[in-house]
Amino acid sequence: MRRYKPLLPVFAIYVILLIIGATTPGLWQPIMFIMFYIGIGVALNNFLGLTGYVDFGYVAFLAMGAYGMAVALNYFTELGFGAVALGFFLALLFSALLCIAVGGVALRLRGAYFAIATIGVNEGLRYLIEGARIWGGSEGIVLSGKLRKAFGPDFANYLSTFVADVCLIIVIFVASVITIYLINSRVGYALLALREDEDAAKVVGINVTKYKLIAFFTSAAIGSLIGASAWTLKLTYVFPEDVFFIHYTVEAIVIVMLGGAGTLLGPVISGLIYGALKYYLSVILPGFQLLAFAPLLIIIVVAFPDGIVGYVRKKLRGKSLFEYIR
Amino acid sequence: MQVAIKWINDQGGIKVGDTVYKLDLKYYDDESKKETVQSLVERLATVDKVKFVLAPYSSGLTLAAAPIAEKYGVLMNSHGGASDYIFEQGYYYVVQTLSPASKYQTGFLDMVHKLDPNAKRLALVYEDKEFSRAVHQAAKKYAEELGFEIVYEKTYPAGTSDLSPILNELKATNPDVIIGGGHFADGQLLASQLAELKIDVKAISILVAPALPAFYEALGTNAEGICAPAQWEVGVKYSPDVAKELGFEWYGPTQDEFMKLFKEIAGEDKTPSYHAAEAAAVLSYAKAIEKAQSLDPAKVREAMNDLGFMCVYGMWKIDPETGKQAGHEMVIIQWQGGEKKIVWPTAAANSDPCYPIPSWDEKSAGKICGT
Repeated sequence: MRRYKPLLPVFAIYVILLIIGATTPGLWQPIMFIMFYIGIGVALNNFLGLTGYVDFGYVAFLAMGAYGMAVALNYFTELGFGAVALGFFLALLFSALLCIAVGGVALRLRGAYFAIATIGVNEGLRYLIEGARIWGGSEGIVLSGKLRKAFGPDFANYLSTFVADVCLIIVIFVASVITIYLINSRVGYALLALREDEDAAKVVGINVTKYKLIAFFTSAAIGSLIGASAWTLKLTYVFPEDVFFIHYTVEAIVIVMLGGAGTLLGPVISGLIYGALKYYLSVILPGFQLLAFAPLLIIIVVAFPDGIVGYVRKKLRGKSLFEYIR
Repeated sequence: MQVAIKWINDQGGIKVGDTVYKLDLKYYDDESKKETVQSLVERLATVDKVKFVLAPYSSGLTLAAAPIAEKYGVLMNSHGGASDYIFEQGYYYVVQTLSPASKYQTGFLDMVHKLDPNAKRLALVYEDKEFSRAVHQAAKKYAEELGFEIVYEKTYPAGTSDLSPILNELKATNPDVIIGGGHFADGQLLASQLAELKIDVKAISILVAPALPAFYEALGTNAEGICAPAQWEVGVKYSPDVAKELGFEWYGPTQDEFMKLFKEIAGEDKTPSYHAAEAAAVLSYAKAIEKAQSLDPAKVREAMNDLGFMCVYGMWKIDPETGKQAGHEMVIIQWQGGEKKIVWPTAAANSDPCYPIPSWDEKSAGKICGT
């Protein structure tokens, strides 16, 4: 059990956030907003953090999840909660299919080439959906009316203002457990070796492709579940330009790097900082928040080149708290 | 918004019973992101105890905010979401001030139909985006009702840099009237390639692009006669007199007062555009609150059902069931002699429509509308 001690501070942060959100009026949505950023950080960290590969098309997995849920709710509305369950299943299925496509092609590439190929996949998929008019094409899928008719307005509201949030919370808790499991297992050690030097890892007999794919699938699966709950279920619509928006990928990368790539606590802390700053700056300095945001991020990145958690770990080496921070 | 708020407060605020309320504006920046919108609307509803929200810009964001608004029972008035589908989802607490997408090109079709009932051959060329698709699907349906014959219809993907293959096909169908467009760049491309290929028609209406001055700067005399729909335009003739003639009540500042207050607040060199719609949204709240004699959003929403008034922006009247804007009409602008003139509807027009428009050859020889 000792190896799982680092989960303690992570779960403590989640629980405290949720208690604050549930007890303070007007803070539930902002907390969910922060949880969303923690979520995409934790999800991408399982790939970017563990392998060192920068996936600039990451948002496509969230998009696949969003579409999976939308397709289920749109075409199988009468199943009620069953449609939601089916939505999560389709989310996982769609993202796995995309994983096979991207993994088969792009994961053979390294560094900048991999990053460029993933951008290509993201944009290509979006134009495929728009151009071939799949799932409503550029008009997307708008579910609000359908849900309200099928379930009644109260239940539809409950679905998008409560159930969606609970799903997201569950996904994030599970995602953190998966991260610590990966880090502690054989997979984690193999990934560590391949992150530091892929060729050396290959030479000592590690099947790098297999481990890269494991990290890729895990990260994609979590991403798709976040897309399904935080986007489709919560917002009740999916537009291609919205869900394939590369901005989210960039945000996720920033969160992973800021917190400390490959650490468990890193994306949680930086997701919290990122989300909270974003929310409060848009309240305090409407219109200027992006201007204030950029220098802040630059300062943090310069001050903590290993990420926040990397820095803290260095300071705590040899102390009793050390084993709680991963 | 601030113009309307200042005007209402200068007039003594809103009277409910014996109490007089002054308006106050509270705003946050949503960065046009869907997650942010939900948090901020919740904050407005709970922390700031706001009862009447002016909805975020764009239809998607309005839809994202709708479940939150409904949960807290606050009213949302959309001045930046023109899509019809928002109002087809059954949200009771969302009302619209902008004319919906389905009405963008219908005014132009009405105008052509009235000027020349024989111009029947209509071609549609538009961008494959949710919004322009909605606009032109509705326009197509309306055109068929008016007796137009759809001789050509094609979409092009966003970011297209060459429309000539489509336009060559279009030329062969010999249309009388062309409608289309989407955003600025493709709208301008459409106009300039129509000119290059010398596709002469009697009337053209393009979404968005011709409504901006940069369009004329780019095309010069080739822009002459091209029309565009707009929610509002400086120079519209809506006034208390027009309102009286048509039998409606006038509310809010006159065009001159509006322009004067706008310059005071925004500075001399700015020209209002979408601001009139925002002002109308604020005015509609004020009017409905006064009518309901209550600050309860449910009662105010009910009062809106049979509220109808005219202001700088034009008519304001919603469809009681969906909350969709039904009273306001799009104005049609047309480039005439290097100036943007309002040619439709008659109640707002400051110039007669130029019809049929000069041919591309005539235009390159220097002929302009109105000569």
